[in-house]
Amino acid sequence: MNAPTWQVALSIAVFAGAYVTIATEWVHRVKAALVGAGLMLMIGATDGDAAFYSEETGIDWNVIFLLLGMMVIVSVVKQTGVFEYLAIWAAKQAQGRPYRVLVLLCTITAVASAALDNVTTVLLVAPVTLLVCDRIGVRPEGFLIAEALASNIGGAATLIGDPPNIIIASRADLSFNDFLVNMGPIVVVLMGVFLLLARWLFRRSFTYDAGRAAAVMDLDERAAIRDRTLLVRCLLVLVAVLVGFSLHTLLHIDPSVVALLGAGVLVLVSGTTSEEFLEDVEWETLVFFAGLFVMVGTLVNVGVIEYLGEQAVEAVDGRYLLASTGLLFGSAVISGIVDNIPYVATVSPLVNDLVESGDNTPKATAMWWALALGADLGGNATAVGASANVVVTGIAARSGHPISFWHFTKYGLVVTAVTIALAWPYVWLRYYAYG
Amino acid sequence: MQARDLAEEFPVVRLDDDALEATRLMTDQGLPGLVVVDEHGGPLVVLPASQVLRFALPEYIEEDPALARVYGEREADTFCKELVGRKVRELMPGRQYLPKRDRDKPVVSAAATLIEVASVMTRQHSPVVAVVDDEQILGVITVHRLLGAALPRS
Repeated sequence: MNAPTWQVALSIAVFAGAYVTIATEWVHRVKAALVGAGLMLMIGATDGDAAFYSEETGIDWNVIFLLLGMMVIVSVVKQTGVFEYLAIWAAKQAQGRPYRVLVLLCTITAVASAALDNVTTVLLVAPVTLLVCDRIGVRPEGFLIAEALASNIGGAATLIGDPPNIIIASRADLSFNDFLVNMGPIVVVLMGVFLLLARWLFRRSFTYDAGRAAAVMDLDERAAIRDRTLLVRCLLVLVAVLVGFSLHTLLHIDPSVVALLGAGVLVLVSGTTSEEFLEDVEWETLVFFAGLFVMVGTLVNVGVIEYLGEQAVEAVDGRYLLASTGLLFGSAVISGIVDNIPYVATVSPLVNDLVESGDNTPKATAMWWALALGADLGGNATAVGASANVVVTGIAARSGHPISFWHFTKYGLVVTAVTIALAWPYVWLRYYAYG
Repeated sequence: MQARDLAEEFPVVRLDDDALEATRLMTDQGLPGLVVVDEHGGPLVVLPASQVLRFALPEYIEEDPALARVYGEREADTFCKELVGRKVRELMPGRQYLPKRDRDKPVVSAAATLIEVASVMTRQHSPVVAVVDDEQILGVITVHRLLGAALPRS
């Protein structure tokens, strides 16, 4: 350890206290993270330089600004009405038949979650789902739960799709294409399996009146588009941003810079006011990340992470398949119980030590994918496992269709168990058996 | 001028009255809202016409106003069918709507001045207040009547 023992002990106590407070939601998570970060500074376990100017021991500004850039992009894109258009178009394509509607809405949700973020996607798709269910005369709860689950599965496919992936990408120096190539194939398989499973899981939601289902054809999806010019501009910028992400290895421009440039261009070409494009920025999330990074960074600063890393390297002793298996299943269980963001922020430095001890070979690097799959898919397990789940249950309650914790969880657990069970052979076959 | 001087007769409804009938009362008489009374006939809350609209409108349109545009004219014409078979109490989600304290009720005393009446109306976003004397409703004052009395004479 680099710091005095009392300082190490105090910083562990502060971190554990903040973590328990965040997990149990005794106080708001932002307050817990900020108080924790403040205490770390107060006891001298970290200082301004370490907290604000080092991504190893403090705030990872790449993550913060990538999130900020994407939030601004999303706040402009959502004004176009494109999500409402797509969802109603899908319901009409399905001719109001509930299972087909669910398949199309979940597919749209998963794809949009991969390109944007989970929370925004479900915020935009859930109201239109309620409208469609109202028109075809089916209960919406199953549809809403399925969309939250699909958004978490779809978001796992890309670097920007899920906050844990953004943290992993930054810590592991993994590119947008790395995520797409390593996570994309299994996410496509998992979505296919999930959609088949949904036929059985949500079967009670599919009883419908054919006469009422026809009413969905009266909806005019084109009326949802507020401004066609804005839509075209947004789509062009969004495509450019995604291309920018994928050309990282060629251009060497960080994803955070690409997102900020995209946000800037979109703000300029859309003519939106600062109030409008800042309206949907989740400042709470950004501050939470900052506080969290300072706390985890302090543990790095005082040598706790280094010590745990050494212990982990010793315990793993080159058995990377075992470590990946533990990470996949362990992360799934933990992410179902507590928010996966603080979990991944804490575990990432340890995984980094393990991967570096294995000289960054594909077998060692596979641990990052095991962590990402476990944390992203584990978020589906319970109603509080991921932000998208919390948002969907909130919208359901406000619309008079409350979804209880256990109502969500009984579906979430099945989907998590099936997807994790399928993710393990993928990791094994791709990185260890034939890697 | 005091509140008693402006109070006029006004229909009242109870929490268990039919919501559709109550709304018809409002529309037929061109009222901005209705005074809802408790089981003892004391004023409880004002049900403004805007709250009836809020109830009739599906919640998902409040979440995403863009969805209002996708309805066809025929379906849009009948959005108030949500009121059929409902009670007045259902129009007002209890915890958020019903007053927790006496001072939150849309009530003024008979001796209240016009500025006191205006203060209660603005604080409670209510177009109507009940004028009470000895726990009995003397009548109500609408926002139009208050403004009519308070405007400077030309």
